[in-house]
Amino acid sequence: MDNPIAVGLGECVVSKANGDILVAYGLGSCVAVSMLDPEKKICGLLHAVLPEEIKGVETRTKFVNSGIEELLHSMEKAGAKKEKIVVRIAGGANMITAPGFSSSFDIGTRNVASAHATLNKMSLPLKSESVGGHVGRTVRFYVETGQVTVRMIGGVEANL
Amino acid sequence: MDQTLSINSEFLNRFEGYAVEGVKSAASGFSSMLGESLKAQDPTFKQVPITEIPKLLGGPETEAVGIYLRAEGDVPCQFMLVIPLVRSMELVDLLLDQAPGTTKEMGSLERSALGEIGNLTSSYFLNSICRLTGLSVRPSPPAVMVDMVGAIMDIIIATCGGISDSVLLVQTKFANEKRSFETSFWVIPDNLSLEVLSTKGRG
Repeated sequence: MDNPIAVGLGECVVSKANGDILVAYGLGSCVAVSMLDPEKKICGLLHAVLPEEIKGVETRTKFVNSGIEELLHSMEKAGAKKEKIVVRIAGGANMITAPGFSSSFDIGTRNVASAHATLNKMSLPLKSESVGGHVGRTVRFYVETGQVTVRMIGGVEANL
Repeated sequence: MDQTLSINSEFLNRFEGYAVEGVKSAASGFSSMLGESLKAQDPTFKQVPITEIPKLLGGPETEAVGIYLRAEGDVPCQFMLVIPLVRSMELVDLLLDQAPGTTKEMGSLERSALGEIGNLTSSYFLNSICRLTGLSVRPSPPAVMVDMVGAIMDIIIATCGGISDSVLLVQTKFANEKRSFETSFWVIPDNLSLEVLSTKGRG
């Protein structure tokens, strides 16, 4: 039976239970990073809020760069092999497009750039992505099939 | 600095006084736009964990309109009005003096009308704070978003999330005897504002 598990802000969840669906709801500038070991059927999803780790903040999974490290660590702890891992990312929208707002609202773009840089540094190849734009997204990760989907407002679920 | 460090019960009481006056005034701004009298219903003032924010508005996937403004000056803060999508279309019909059910989608005209509500409510709120404290502050133009609540509120979460695990917020709904506008009016003061207001009125 389907068991949706909400992966909230700054959370990271790893599962190998068939029926589990890891869901990051309503991502705006936040970024979801999914990792799959297709051989061992281990799935992990991170919901990161800000691009770079801030020293002194305990929750490392709140940040894209340190969150990806934590997600990989949790995947390996669950038995996944780094060289087999398939990575997909979604989110990083820039929700405010109105004039008069400074580039400090460009957090979505910076989150995506941080994800690219971190994955590159860790030699984790990126399989696919749905990033940027000005719309929110919900990401679902079906553990049984390893399928990752994205839904935008008013749209239908589509494979990532 | 963690926002929680600036907050004590004396400060909360004083700020609540400002905030309640502010939202009453914001209701006047909303009323002037609609042409009928509205009151701020049960204004609440509380500290909320950042991770709980989307849950407070019906869940992160709920479709809504978000009207965002930022205020700069002596007491910088952020404003967010969140209106469920269906309710916002009803509101547009009322604002544009159209028959109920006329608005089917949010184009530039509809967004502009809703943005004006953000403008008026936040300006009235700020005027009230400035009158009470003698401080000076000015709002930005409004940004209107039609999206999932989680995505809309990411703006608040991303701008506050790096420095604090919670935000201080003022929340209310606007209503009169005839109808209730399901509008959540959020005011999130910056840390600097908390410091300025905490010294204001200290004898």
